[in-house]
Amino acid sequence: MITYTAVSKTYPKEFGSSANLAMENLSFDLNQSETLGLIGANGAGKSTCIHLLMDFIRPDSGEIRILGQPVNNANLRKSIGYLPEVASFPANLTVLDMLRFAGSSCGLSRSAIKQRSESLLRELELWQVRKRPLRSYSKGMQQRASFAVALIGDPELLILDEPMSGLDPVGREKIISLILRLKQQGKTILFCSHILEDVDRLADRLLVLHHGEKLFDGTVPQFCTQQQVTTITEAFLAIIGNNNGDGDAHV
Amino acid sequence: MPMFSCWQRMTALARIIVIDGIRSHAIIGLLCLALACEAGGLLFFGFIPRDIGRVSSDFIFSISFLTGLIFLFFHAVNVTAWGGNKRLIHTILARPLSRAEYILGLFTGLTALLLLLNLLLAGAGYVVLVTIKGQIDPVYFSHFSTSHYLLTWLGLSLIELTLLAVILLLSGLIRGSFTVLLLALSYYLICSGLPVVRETVLQNSGSNPGFKGQFLAWLSALFPDFSVLDFKTYVITAQALPPLTVLSINFVTILVYAVLVLWLACFVYARKDLR
Repeated sequence: MITYTAVSKTYPKEFGSSANLAMENLSFDLNQSETLGLIGANGAGKSTCIHLLMDFIRPDSGEIRILGQPVNNANLRKSIGYLPEVASFPANLTVLDMLRFAGSSCGLSRSAIKQRSESLLRELELWQVRKRPLRSYSKGMQQRASFAVALIGDPELLILDEPMSGLDPVGREKIISLILRLKQQGKTILFCSHILEDVDRLADRLLVLHHGEKLFDGTVPQFCTQQQVTTITEAFLAIIGNNNGDGDAHV
Repeated sequence: MPMFSCWQRMTALARIIVIDGIRSHAIIGLLCLALACEAGGLLFFGFIPRDIGRVSSDFIFSISFLTGLIFLFFHAVNVTAWGGNKRLIHTILARPLSRAEYILGLFTGLTALLLLLNLLLAGAGYVVLVTIKGQIDPVYFSHFSTSHYLLTWLGLSLIELTLLAVILLLSGLIRGSFTVLLLALSYYLICSGLPVVRETVLQNSGSNPGFKGQFLAWLSALFPDFSVLDFKTYVITAQALPPLTVLSINFVTILVYAVLVLWLACFVYARKDLR
């Protein structure tokens, strides 16, 4: 489904900051119906990895393909549902306006958009507030609205950038249940998160990044075995500590 | 078929830009204020001792153009600029839209909003001018040409659309809305000031403008002279318009300029990292 081959990315220097190597020679694959959890400390390259997949930024070298096609093919995004870390909508729109835009851009008919919007909004408990401007939504509601927009075209692949960030425990649980449901439906999911317990619950496979390099690619039990610990958090702290040389990791 | 879906995607984006603008309290407030100012013309024309037609017409067009500029520099810049916490571009480009479609969709949506704003202001301005003309002695307001009034609005709208294209280009080159606002404002001020500077240099240097004159002439290709699309003098005088060929050349030149700027904006966006 996703093929990342020897991808490197350096952010060019800007006024007041020097050039920053964000990713170095990263390669990995994601197979159909698999859930990959991307973890790493701040600045590890998780968002860069996702932004490269979405073609928001371009690699300096290497190749990224989704469903066998280069990521700069805009049509490819009909098959992708993207959830940004921070939901960003035009302030005066309602979730229905956004769903209509997202559905039309995918080529869905008006009736299909209407039907799918209703079912998604009911499932995500946003049906009662569908006519309220998005700016009046809480953080959790905005995140669920973002999810609805991402799912309107029934995409095969979901790319979720910190789906649980900033949510209260109730909101977090709702999003986790939704991701689990999508997993059961056979969707391919790539997500990144700082909350390692959530990654443990959701991911089939882990990809650990550190300073733009791959430290580990495998299952959670393999990760724990490799680091000779019992939990994913301990394993993560151990691997990052070993690579920092000082045992200090910010999770 | 691909052309149709491309159009469908652009209109889908344009639609949300229009809806967002129509529901924006700031835009509604701006429109109400501009309409109130135009209507205010009906109250104060009695205080003008002479040339009421010219003063009223200038007042209506100044209010309208200022409203258009406020719309462009504040609303349009805010919609198009990205960077920092402004991540709307990612939400939009996560859909199956190419970056060129994104730019053209934004342009179409903001153009529709701007033309709607101009239509309302032009209608109100027309009513105000016709009412004033009907209430005073013809000596003070002898002539009013509806066709020239429409032509003036056409010119004014084309100037504003060119500025919109420039704002889109600048938002592709630079991150942050404040920087785009400053540069767009500087661009407009240079465009307004350059013809005056050229005229002064020509007058001072006589028949041989020299390097300075030539440089200023070339600079006009970057910063076009928008005064060629300003016809408000003709609305209230019987003065003949410039020949049709000159008018057409002026309109087509600015239109081609706007299209080139828009194409350049698409080109810049297509190659840019949208961090």
